[in-house]
Amino acid sequence: MRGRPLLYTSYESDQALLNTGTKKVLLSLFLLLAILLPLGAVPGLQWLASDNWMLVLGEVAIVFVAALGLNILTGLAGQVSLGHAFFMGIGAYTAAALGAPEGPLWGLGLPMWIWLPAAGLVAALIGVLIAPTSFRVRGLYLAIVTLGLVFIGEHLFRNLDFITGGSQSGRQFPRLELKLWKEETPLIDFSNDGTWLGIDLSREAKTFYLMLAAAVLFAVVAKNIQRTRAGRAFQSIRDRDIAAEITGVDEFRYKTIAFMLSSFFAGIAGALVASFVGRTIPEAFGLSLSVEIIAVVLIGGAGVVSGMALGSIFVVVLPLIVLNVTEWLTDLARTGEGIVASIADFFVATGNLDSGFVSALPGSSPGLNVFQMNQVLYGLLIIGFIIFEPLGLYGIWIRIRNYWKGWPFTY
Amino acid sequence: MKINTRWLAIFLVMGMVLAACSPDEGGPDTTGDEPTDTTEAPGSPGTTEGPTDTTAPPTGEIATDIGVDVENQVIRLGYLSDLSGPFAALVGAINAGAEFYWTGVNEAGGINGWTVEMVVRDTGYDAEAHTQFYQELKDDTVMIAQSTGSPQTVGILEQLAADNVLAVPLTWYSGWTDETLNANLLHHGMSYCLEAHNLLGYITDNNDVSTIAIASIPGDYGLDSVAGAAQAAATLGLEVVYDGTGAIVPGAEGPENPDEIANAIVGADPDVVFLTGRSQDTEAIYGAAVGQGLEAIWTGAFPTYSPRFVAPGSPIADQASRDFILSFYGTPWAAGTDGITAFSQAILDAGLPASEFYTEGAIEATIVHAVLAQAIANGDLTQAGVLAAGKSLSNVDLGGIGPNESYTGTMNEQLQRVSNIVKPDAADLAAGGTGFALVAGEYTHSIVTDYDFTGACYSLG
Repeated sequence: MRGRPLLYTSYESDQALLNTGTKKVLLSLFLLLAILLPLGAVPGLQWLASDNWMLVLGEVAIVFVAALGLNILTGLAGQVSLGHAFFMGIGAYTAAALGAPEGPLWGLGLPMWIWLPAAGLVAALIGVLIAPTSFRVRGLYLAIVTLGLVFIGEHLFRNLDFITGGSQSGRQFPRLELKLWKEETPLIDFSNDGTWLGIDLSREAKTFYLMLAAAVLFAVVAKNIQRTRAGRAFQSIRDRDIAAEITGVDEFRYKTIAFMLSSFFAGIAGALVASFVGRTIPEAFGLSLSVEIIAVVLIGGAGVVSGMALGSIFVVVLPLIVLNVTEWLTDLARTGEGIVASIADFFVATGNLDSGFVSALPGSSPGLNVFQMNQVLYGLLIIGFIIFEPLGLYGIWIRIRNYWKGWPFTY
Repeated sequence: MKINTRWLAIFLVMGMVLAACSPDEGGPDTTGDEPTDTTEAPGSPGTTEGPTDTTAPPTGEIATDIGVDVENQVIRLGYLSDLSGPFAALVGAINAGAEFYWTGVNEAGGINGWTVEMVVRDTGYDAEAHTQFYQELKDDTVMIAQSTGSPQTVGILEQLAADNVLAVPLTWYSGWTDETLNANLLHHGMSYCLEAHNLLGYITDNNDVSTIAIASIPGDYGLDSVAGAAQAAATLGLEVVYDGTGAIVPGAEGPENPDEIANAIVGADPDVVFLTGRSQDTEAIYGAAVGQGLEAIWTGAFPTYSPRFVAPGSPIADQASRDFILSFYGTPWAAGTDGITAFSQAILDAGLPASEFYTEGAIEATIVHAVLAQAIANGDLTQAGVLAAGKSLSNVDLGGIGPNESYTGTMNEQLQRVSNIVKPDAADLAAGGTGFALVAGEYTHSIVTDYDFTGACYSLG
């Protein structure tokens, strides 16, 4: 019986965290790659070890944690929420109030082992308070309620300036360092260059490792939630809430749990992203951030943990691709010749009287700027995936996998 | 999944439209007649000969690390610019001025034979993007020649220090002179806070005024400016009859509460209104206040005002010409000094529309030019060498386009205490000028001379 794919002889093996050999091998390889990457020890990928890319990959990991949270609520429990940015903001400012050094703004200077879990817990608590609305309204109406939450949050964050630093001014967030209490020298310092186990590491590489650890931890938690009684209850509510209730699923209880868990993830992600950036303004936790996380969930594949990883990479790296392609086209349009340059010139605006969809230097020539172009692309991709590939990138991966599984036969 | 996908798709699109329409906060905006082209900026560099390039060691003897192409003798400069956020129009014009300057320098043979290349990244005024692009630029450029936004710049200070990288902040936050913030920065121009002191000093000396109303948008720009106004009012004995510090709520097209602010100002009946915001905020509040018959002197940070207020057809042209008094960090075109005349003529000759904001771009670039010339003379074009060169400059001559800057000595000695007091000039605007008349050139009021710097007027927490 051993070695036969998709043949499970026990419920445990069917429900195992990694239920196939391929998954175990792929995950091990991925983790090995992620650990070796910052050391520049992966042939052909040394360029990813640069500080800049470490920062990008760190952001991917944080967005992944945030998306895992929304995935529990929207992907598993089917509750559409636009309020994720609000919970991330709650997490960020809880972290600031507890962890930032004492100064003109609230800050108790407590260590990370307090402020990071607290960020999740406070967000989860507020999630529990919001959850009853999801019992009263569903679908689009819930989306409207959570949209309102984002605006209320923005208003609060702007005006609670003794915590947030106020609109457009912002504040400093706690440093990423592990201390026992308030001692001078941290046990582990993620915010400065240093040596770990005899290996010199930049602060960006250290931060990446921290974010990677968080991403792995929360991925395991999210995957496990999916396999529990609660996870199955979420899915039954998503698939048909009335039927779920008839079969004995307590809708109120499980919707509340879904909100709580989702908000906990969001709170942690918010605290991490704020400390990762170091300093940010209240406006950062607005609707655009919610849309970004929704884009991850829908593009990656709602309901699937590995889809969140694919979606996070895609959504974080997309703006860099747009920027680089735009710059490349601009160069081509300015310096190139012939038909290729003309095509490039059609797409990018290179001067005052030039028209084009996108401009590498907005403010100095017409056309969409890179940020606007990204928003348009997110929109188009979300619509495209919902219509053509509801399982997102994960669905595409399944198709590719199935093709090669049966190769050279078509089925 | 049983989510109604069609509705979800429609809803998300609506969500994104809403996100796109959400208010742009903070920061100044510029006039309707901003230059919008950076690509057609060649031609005579005007004053862009810049600092005198001293004798330098041969290229082979110059130490380099990042951002310098020794083979082709190219120096790369990083620009962290807000080209899509609330400051987009302003920074677009400033960058056009910088590009104009560097084009002139490069065409004239570069700095001791080294040409300069701008690497511009659009941060959208977002702290996360700012930090991320900083990481990219510090691995690619010799220094950050422009870092837009005070919170954003404070956000990268620790990294600048760790990386030994020099940056020129594009903000006039009063805290830049603070020793705890300034180790890796070359600030320039009079701060928002001192600008308020200088303006109110001038206004009090030349007018019979005793009461003042203060209002601003939130954020370091508005709050630093009105903090200065409140200090100056106390020093000058002006009674504050309305304090709307941070009370203007900036929306996408203008303030969300113009009538509330205007009514409060009119109700207080002040002799002077000190308001700092974006020009669209001022336009709405000022329009509502003068509509109710208020006659007062209006002033505020420079980007609070726009020459479009006095453009032909503007409903507030006559009142605005009468009421506004402002201060500009650089030399206004109307000053007619040799440096600014040559510069403005070169801009016009290149076919660009008149705007004072080009000057700011050229001022930044001139300071960077002086830094690079010094680094080359020192034989050290590494990032740390450029930082050391910048911090050793005791007198940067801006060639008449702005007051000279110093980066040595005590913080009080480094403080820029000179600005130019200007008034709207509708006739100048109609004749193709920038729309300002000079009232008092290179002006320093006695309260500014006596100002003892002990810290920022408004603290960024």
